Amino acid sequence: MKLKTSLRSALLAATMIPLGLAAQAEEITIAIGHQSMCTDTYTAGIVIKELGLLEKHLPTDGKYADAEYDISWADYSSGGPITNQMLANKLNFGVMGDYPLIVNGAKFQETDSLRTVYVAGTGYNLKGSGNAIVVPVESDIYSIDQLQGKEVSTPVGSAAWGMLLKAMQDNDIPTSEYVLKNQSPAVGAANIAAGKIDAHSDFCPWSEIMEYRGTGRKIYDGSETGVPYLHGVVVRQDFAEEYPEVVQAFIKAVYEAGEWIREDPMRAVTEMESWTGVEKEVLYLYFSKGGHLTLEPSIKTEWIDALKFNHGVLVAEKAIPPLDFDAWITEDYLKAAYADMGVDYEVDKAKMVDPEVANEGLPMEIWHSRDGISTYGTAAEFLKGMADIRATAALVNATYVYDVESGLKLFGKTAFWVKAGDDFATFLRKGEAEAYASANAGQVVTFDDAIAAYATDG
Amino acid sequence: MRNVTDVEMAKEVTLMEVVKTLGHAVRLDWRRMVVTGLTFALLMQVLMMIALMVRFQGLPNYAVGYDWIGNVIHIIKSTPSWGDIMPIVNQEWLIEIGKMNYDYGTGISEWSLNVVPVRIMVLFVLGALVALCLSLLRTDQCDVATGTTLRATTGLGTVLIAMTNATMSWVVCCAAPSWVVGLAMLGLGVSTSLALESMGPALNLAGFGLLLCTAHYLAWRKTRNPQHLSGSLKHA
Repeated sequence: MKLKTSLRSALLAATMIPLGLAAQAEEITIAIGHQSMCTDTYTAGIVIKELGLLEKHLPTDGKYADAEYDISWADYSSGGPITNQMLANKLNFGVMGDYPLIVNGAKFQETDSLRTVYVAGTGYNLKGSGNAIVVPVESDIYSIDQLQGKEVSTPVGSAAWGMLLKAMQDNDIPTSEYVLKNQSPAVGAANIAAGKIDAHSDFCPWSEIMEYRGTGRKIYDGSETGVPYLHGVVVRQDFAEEYPEVVQAFIKAVYEAGEWIREDPMRAVTEMESWTGVEKEVLYLYFSKGGHLTLEPSIKTEWIDALKFNHGVLVAEKAIPPLDFDAWITEDYLKAAYADMGVDYEVDKAKMVDPEVANEGLPMEIWHSRDGISTYGTAAEFLKGMADIRATAALVNATYVYDVESGLKLFGKTAFWVKAGDDFATFLRKGEAEAYASANAGQVVTFDDAIAAYATDG
Repeated sequence: MRNVTDVEMAKEVTLMEVVKTLGHAVRLDWRRMVVTGLTFALLMQVLMMIALMVRFQGLPNYAVGYDWIGNVIHIIKSTPSWGDIMPIVNQEWLIEIGKMNYDYGTGISEWSLNVVPVRIMVLFVLGALVALCLSLLRTDQCDVATGTTLRATTGLGTVLIAMTNATMSWVVCCAAPSWVVGLAMLGLGVSTSLALESMGPALNLAGFGLLLCTAHYLAWRKTRNPQHLSGSLKHA
């Protein structure tokens, strides 16, 4: 009897297994490839990850009522491996800069059955700041035309590489007249510090890391190319079609990450330093008011034009496959996400922040190691503030000023200072500083000399 | 009496007979071929690791294992076209051993050896083919010049295949493992190396072509001269 009961129980249990499986919740795997060493990807990467913003926005009703999400983040030092992992379907989302984005789209379109879609931006600099060419701090090179016959390294395939090619073309320096070397950011930065390379072109925030650490000096800023510098999010098309609401949730998280940074940049950079290892003073140059980066995910017509231009550069240099931009770029997910959030997408899309205009009149800043950031409306006040701090031997983390020509935010210590009468002006490049000095009967002085002018004796 | 040239003799030997000779040679020496194939594949990994350590004057400081089988199953399941599957599976790693630079951020891999099972299989086949060619050469009674030419052809084929199946990565050169890293490490300019990258599959095919032609030629010589097939099937 006991045996019969046990047998019946076992059979009943066996028949229930399929029912149990049917009732089991669907597990949705969301794998994201991001870059913790590329500032412009943070709002679609490290910030969302650390603040749990994706979890907050993921759908939980309708077909997702019983869904269980398995979210994973993988950190990469460049966009190329993210594309490879997306091809293997180990990543659904990828966050990267403009050139790697194009390679991603083209590589997928080269396959028979796989595609990605470009669903959102993360941030931009209208003029192209973020990329830059840096020389060793002791170098006697001050402008790009001095790079003729020199060795210049860059991570080939990156946005910085594209910028370098464009910059050289703009300055009539053919590739035969300089030696181009392929070096990763870390290797390039190490070689600049050791003076082993004449110049290194890199993407955000490597140039500023070198400047902040006192090993490198910027001679060319990406803004001089006039081509916008942007980053964005690509998703595997099969994933996006199966879970469109998850893609929308990701875009809402990108939007909220931008809001979180704007709300309190100091808090944001301090947190981001602990997450990424990049110095907060460097991050402040990007994420503070007047910083290099405008955080906004819309896809503007100008961005598509810039991506097409970049694709042309790659076609000429590396013969990458063609890319059907119309099939690749979609605003559908952005529009749906914005509508859900009650934000007017067209208003955001129409906005365009030009640092030259937007940063005019912004105060200079001193980051006191104990008291935090102080702002100064004029150069005289700023220099007096620095002189006072130095008189007390207090520590300063960093100082920030603006380039008169481009409106670009700079470290005070790396800017070229011009004293003309009682006024001071700050410049990114030596040539423009000297031109301003001769036009205004002034002279180029060092940062220390400028501060010394306001030091009180005793 | 007129000497019969190789070309004239070739007309008398059919392809099937050559294949039979090859089959016989494989049956006779299959253990040696398997052992050589395995040794070759493993030795290549060790040599690449040593080359990286010598070139960069440092020891590896990280190693990561990957679920290769799971990943391949995942790729097959999620890739609709069979034509897309192989190129993606070809890039799948089993083990990554390298040097991580922690000077900036959370660390960047400066160089690494990537153990790629598909490439291991290719190297295994290469080793087995080399063993077959050498086995056929050993029993061939050709003159010194012909022997040298055949050995050189086998060597060239081996170098081409081994070179194009190197799986090292170096951040200075590229973000993913590539056969041209070996060239760049040897001192060839990175730009030149990268320009050669697309020639990899053609060079690989050329290498296999040379080895197969050598094996075919040696088997043909044996077929037209049957006394060379007097060996017994020791391992059959």
